[in-house]
Formats: sequence, C-alpha cells, structure tokens
Amino acid sequence: MIDNPVIFYLSSAFIIVFALLCLFAKNVVYSLLSSVVVFFFGALFFYVLGSEYNAIIQAAIYGFAVPVLIGLSIMFGGEKTKNKTKRTFAFYLPLFAGIFILAFVYLTMMSLVIMPDTFRASEVLQVNAFDTIRTFARALFIDYVWAFELVSLLLTIVIAGIGMLRVHKKGRSRV
Amino acid sequence: MEITMYHYLSIGLLLFLIGLLGSVIVKNVIKVLISIEIMLLGVNINFITFAAFCDNMKFDGYVISLFYVGLGAVELAVALYLFYLMYQKKESDCIERFNEL
Repeated sequence: MIDNPVIFYLSSAFIIVFALLCLFAKNVVYSLLSSVVVFFFGALFFYVLGSEYNAIIQAAIYGFAVPVLIGLSIMFGGEKTKNKTKRTFAFYLPLFAGIFILAFVYLTMMSLVIMPDTFRASEVLQVNAFDTIRTFARALFIDYVWAFELVSLLLTIVIAGIGMLRVHKKGRSRV
Repeated sequence: MEITMYHYLSIGLLLFLIGLLGSVIVKNVIKVLISIEIMLLGVNINFITFAAFCDNMKFDGYVISLFYVGLGAVELAVALYLFYLMYQKKESDCIERFNEL
C-alpha cells in the first residue's frame, strides 16, 4: 500500500470534481468522458491500496469497455432532453470546485510541512504483484469457486437473454 | 500527515453520495446509469479499503470487489439494452417518460 498524502489528495480532488462534472455536464458526451476519468482514478485508488489486480480489471472494464457501450448507446439514442438542473448548478459548481481546490492546496502544503519526504520514489515502487495474483488465483478458483461459477453463469444468461430479446423483437417487427 | 482508513472511506462515501444525488435529480437515462456506476465505484473503494486495512491476509474484500465489477458491467449492459428498446418506443431519453413497460 502506498501511503502518500500528495497522491491521495490529488486523486481525491480529481475524482470528486470529475464525478460532479459527470452529473452536471451540459453534453452527455462530456459526462461520459468525465466518467472515464473517474473510473481511471478509481483504478488508481485500487492500486494505491495495494490491489493491482483490481486496478487492472477496473481500468480495463470501466475505463475502456463500459464507455464504449455507453458511447454506442449515445450514438443510437441522441440528445433531445435538456437538463433542467444545469442552470442551478452552473453557479454553484465553480464555487464548490474553488473551495475544494483551496482545501486541497492547503492540505498538500500541510502534508509537505509535516512530512517533507513525501516524494520518495522507493516508497512508490513497493508493490507486491506476485503475492496479490497468487492470492487472487487461490481465492477465485478454490475459496470462491462457486461464486465465480455463478457470476459466469449470470454473464452467459445475460448474453443469451439479450440475443433472445433481439430475435423476439425482429420477429415481432416483421409481423 | 498519515493517510488512514477513514480518508479512503470518506472518498468512497462521497462518491456514493454523488452517485445517489445524480441518480435522483438527473433526468437523462445515460447520466443515471453513469451515476449508478459511480455509486458502485464508491462501494468498491470501501470494500478494498477494508480489505487493505483490516483483512490483509485473506483478501476477501478484493475478491468481492472483483465480483462487483463483473456484476456492474452486466447490469450496465442490460440497462443499456432496455434503454435502447425504450428509446425506440418513446423517442426520448428523459427518464420521466419511461413510466410504463
């Protein structure tokens, strides 16, 4: 686990600001891009907490696959609805972002004063990837094998269900 | 300044509250789905925080978080397909118009 206040406060500031942007962005595509940033910073949190495997899965699924799915649905859908809440938050969002940035700068300066050797590279490079992957393999294929199989079955059912919905809809539209 | 477990739990709680706020007040279906994913991210951060600070030997929180990622992706795929079907019927992405199956 990486115990670095600068990394923590910086990534916290980014993840909160981009999560708020994700909700109150004018365009839904900007909201999607902000969500990609949020998911990548979530992966960074997982890495900082010592779980590299979860970080890779998070970055691969939520950083790449899920935005592609949402982007495709935006392409098929379109944007006709105007967001009624954006005018209210157009004033408050920069205000709260400014307060948060000031608090972040203050906490960063305080952490540098209290702990001057914050930027030690040796601390950042300490990872335990081999132990983590071995433990994950043991947990997935021995300890939690039934849960793993259940999730796999659920994925298969979802794929088959979506395919059947599609076939059913095609048949109904022909009639 | 030492980063404790409560710092990470606070971030997880903040993300969960932001996602909850978005899923309640936002009218766009895509944004509601993204808000639900942000809520899931907050829950995952809590799981991994507890696993890192309290259960460093068995990695249970890590594995449960992994299952949550898989289930979240499944939920999103199903929800997006339902949105696609509803959009074809209603010609709108406002969640208030999706009031019937």
